[in-house]
This record gives sequence, C-alpha cells and structure tokens, in this order.
Amino acid sequence: MNMIRALIAEDEPILAHTLLQTLQRLWPDLQVGGVVENGIAAVTEALAQRPDVLFLDIKMPGKTGLEAAQELAEDWPEDVPFPLVVFVTAYDEYALQAFEQAAADYVLKPVTEARLAKTVERLKGRLAQHTERNAELERIVGQLRSLVPHVPATSERLTLIRAAVGNQVRMIPVSEVIYFEATDKYVNVVTAESESLIRTSLKELLPQLDPNAFWQVHRGTVVNVNCIHSAIRDESGKLSLKLRGRDEHLSVSRVFAHLFKQM
Amino acid sequence: MITALPYVHGYSRLRRFAIDIAITQVFNLIIAVLITYVVRGHGGFFVNLVFSMCIGTLATTFIDGGRLILWGEQKPPKLKFIVLIIFSLPAAQFIGKLLAAAMLGIPREALSAMRAGNATAMLIGGAVCSMFIIWFFWSREHIEFLRAEAEAEKARAASIEKQALQAQLQMLQAQIEPHMLFNTLANLQGLIAVDPTRAQHMLDQLIQYLRATLSASRSEKTTLAQEFSLLDAYLGLMKVRMGARLSYTLELPDALRSLSVPPMLLQPLVENAIKHGLEPKVEGGLVTVRAEREDDRLKLTVCDTGLGLDEAPPSDGTGLGVDNVRERLHALYGNRAEFSLIPNTPVGVIAQLTIPL
Repeated sequence: MNMIRALIAEDEPILAHTLLQTLQRLWPDLQVGGVVENGIAAVTEALAQRPDVLFLDIKMPGKTGLEAAQELAEDWPEDVPFPLVVFVTAYDEYALQAFEQAAADYVLKPVTEARLAKTVERLKGRLAQHTERNAELERIVGQLRSLVPHVPATSERLTLIRAAVGNQVRMIPVSEVIYFEATDKYVNVVTAESESLIRTSLKELLPQLDPNAFWQVHRGTVVNVNCIHSAIRDESGKLSLKLRGRDEHLSVSRVFAHLFKQM
Repeated sequence: MITALPYVHGYSRLRRFAIDIAITQVFNLIIAVLITYVVRGHGGFFVNLVFSMCIGTLATTFIDGGRLILWGEQKPPKLKFIVLIIFSLPAAQFIGKLLAAAMLGIPREALSAMRAGNATAMLIGGAVCSMFIIWFFWSREHIEFLRAEAEAEKARAASIEKQALQAQLQMLQAQIEPHMLFNTLANLQGLIAVDPTRAQHMLDQLIQYLRATLSASRSEKTTLAQEFSLLDAYLGLMKVRMGARLSYTLELPDALRSLSVPPMLLQPLVENAIKHGLEPKVEGGLVTVRAEREDDRLKLTVCDTGLGLDEAPPSDGTGLGVDNVRERLHALYGNRAEFSLIPNTPVGVIAQLTIPL
C-alpha cells in the first residue's frame, strides 16, 4: 500500500507543531508533507503535493479554510482523488458537526488526543474504501455549497455602475452587463461593446445584484442569466457557457455546475 | 393593577363568594352573642342568632355578590360601591327580619311591635355591624390588591436585574471571544509539552488578561498603567499565538502612569488592530500603542501596519468596536473628547483618541 500523505494548514505555529506531533504519535505511517501558515499557501501547496489528507484551519490569513477548500474543489485535477478534508477550528461557529458523518471531518481546538484518534480511525477507514474516495469531491462540493453562506442581500440594489475610464466616468446600466469578472483588486465589467474596471471586490458586489438575474458560476465570475445562450460540456466533463453578445466562453466551476442541470 | 387572573372567572368568583359567606357566618355568630349578652336586647341567643344570620347573610349576598357580579375580583369604583351598600343594607335588614320571623314562627304583629320597641337600636346596631363586615372585606381586598401589586413590582425589579446581568454577560462575551480563549488554551496545551517555562509565562498572561477584563467591566475607573498592563498581557498572548507575524511596542511615559482613565477604551482598538488588521494579513505586522500628554489633554494612539481600512473583510462587523468607543467617549466627555480613524502610511490604520485630563 502506498504511503498516506497529509498536509497541515494552520497559521499558529505552536498549534501546527502540536497537531503534527500528535498525528505522528497516533499515526506513525502518515507522511506529513509540510505545514503551511495561510490559506493561499494551503491551496498552492495542496495542488502541488496532492495529499490524501488535508488538515485545514478555518481561521487563517489570506483565505479561510472554507474558501481554500472551495477553491481546491474548483481547481483539483480530474484524475486525482480529492483529499479527505479535516477542518480544524477553535470555536464551532459553522456548526461543523454536520460534517462528522460525511465527506469531511472536523476537530475542535484544543485538540484532545482521544478526539484526534477517532478522526484518524475514520480517515483510515475511508481511505481503504476506494469507491468512497472517488465520490469525495462531489460530496465536498455539495457541502461547501451549503456551508459557504450566501451573502445576505443588501437592501439597495445596484442599477447603475459608474466606471472610471481615463478621464471620464462611464455610466453602465446593470441590465446591460453581460458578466463581471474578478481580477486582482478590481472587477472587470463586461458589456456587449465595452470592458471597464471598477475598484471593488466580487464579494462586495454580489449582495447588491439581483440573485435571479445574476448567477455566480465560478469564484471569479458572475454572469447575467439573460445573456447565457447555452451550457456546453466538453470531452473531459468541463462545463462552459456560450454567451449572447460576446464571443468568449465562460467556464463553470464544479461548485456551481448544479445550476446547469437539465430540467 | 392585577395583571392576570389565575383562575377561570366564573369558578373563581363563586369560590370567593362561598368563602365570604362562610366568614360572614362567624361575624353573625359574634353579633348574636353581643346582642344577647352585651347589649342585652330582648329575646334569647337562638332567636338573635337566627336574625343575625338572616340579615348578615343577605347583606353579604347583596353587597359581596353584587360586587363580584358587577366588577369581578377587580377593585370596585368607590362611588358605585357605596351606592350598592346604601341600597343593600336596608334591603337586607328588611328582608332578613321577615325571613327570620317566618323561620321562627313569630307573627307579623309581634315583629312590628318589636321594631317599634327598639327600632333605632336595631337599625343602628345592624348598620354598625354591617359596616364592620364591609370594612373587613374591603380591607382584605385592599391588602390583597397591595400584595399583588408588590409582587408585580418585585417581578419587574427581577426582570430589570436580569436584563442588566444579561447585558453585562454579553459585554463579557464580546470581550472574551470564544475564538480567542480556545485558541489561547490550545496554544497553552501545546506549549506545556514542549516549553513548560513559556507555558507558565503564557498562563500568567492569560490570568492577568482575564482578571483585568473581568474586573474592568465592573469598575468605572482604572489607571493608565493598569490599562497598559492589560494591553501587554493581551498582546503577549497574541504574540505567542502569532509568533513572528506579530510585534508590538507599548509607550507609556512614567509621568502618565497614575492617570485615571475609563477602563476598556484602548482595548477594543487594539483588538481591532489585531483582528481586522494583522491576524488576517499573511505577513503580519506591528502594533504600537502610545500615550502622550498634549497641554491639558491626554492623547492615546493605536497604530498598526495591518490590512488597512479598505482591505479589511467587510463582513464581520469591523465598525462595532469603533462605534462602541465613540459612543462611550461621547457619553463620558460630550464634545470634549475626539476620536479619529485614519489610514497609516504606507499601510495600516491609526486610531487616535483625545480626552480631557
């Protein structure tokens, strides 16, 4: 049997060290590929190392554990089984008990050895069942969908976008926007004939949009439903959207693929 | 006011009436004894008892029954109640006498003669007795009413006290965040195994932080030195947790150490700097807390190199701590205090408050 490999993402050094030591004691065969200290590194390292087990602290700088898991679910390669995720948190504000029997496990800090031993047993059991593992990604995606809360809608709906282009401010009716695309610190507002940047984040923008008119289809893309021509699945199973009024296709991440199931 | 009647109305009134009638019988007996042996009216004890029973029971039936039918167990309006009594008493006297006479087989003529004999005495005696009974019932009602009111008052006071306690508890919970507490404990747990000396030191800091936080919420004034030692304990704990990602300096001139200040003014600002500025920042950074004297004013500054005002995640109530500080400053000093929150250069936030000395 291959070595089981793990990755730990925990921003507090002493806690990371403690978790590592306890794990080594409880599960000597486990090969821990490293400890990362923030959410961004958690995503890049997990994608690079492709561990079997991923310990994710929920409250981390850069990205929360939940965001990191969601991003991993979107970017994980098709041919590699998704890691078993164990969320680690000091205070269970997300009601993670729901996970205990399901795809991901969770442990509370301070981690007691007995509780961690239980998790280790569960992980071993699940790693032995290959069929279970293949379903892992789908399940985690489904759970994240329910867990990452929909941002509460703000009372005022955005109707007009004011975007600075050079020395003028362009007024763009929201209904004319075909899609919004997140870039580094900006959001690109794309209409049939123009693209303009506004200085905001998709996270802040989303609650101001009508959820029936604009759908998030990827962590970086929000699309106007009226401008979707069709959803196309390619040979590898990846979903993308053909648009009215734009030539480029938008890719749909696994997390949002359920929106395009046929009726 | 009696807020809620505990029983179903009809049953409760009937029960009440039965009790009142029973008490009336005791009075009737006493009156019969008085008339026979003290006033020495004519007729034997038995005759007087029958008269007394008839008149008394009827009087109670009219007055008490009328009251219960008209107003239930609520306090009756005084004037209407007096009218009820004025009509009920003579009626009870008249009908009661007839009834008693009929029961004892005394002929009508004898009764008239009896009435003629000591009419005034009987009338006055009857009135006095009735008044006494009414007074008894009335004051019993009144006592009960007062007792109910006192109980309602007590319940109200208890609920106010509960609210105050709840508010205090919420304040404590806001200060000692579960995240902070459990993460600190987890670090302690880890340190005990690898570095007991540091664990000991961390435990001391936790104790100091908890003690200061818990007592500060109850006291109205503290010294600047105490406030800074609380900050030192808090930042010390965070330093153990965040490791190299956090550095901090505290600048308190000796001359200002014993100055008296309201507790927990700086604490929320420092916690904001950590929570919204440095903890979510991958590289971490520096917090500086400084106290300075400016003429007759005290200037307190919390300065961080964290994410800054724009970058902080907007979701989790960044403004709450700041609003709280602003409100408290206004309540304590009115317009004589100032508070500002400005961007630090190149990154981070400077929170500054100025209060009169």
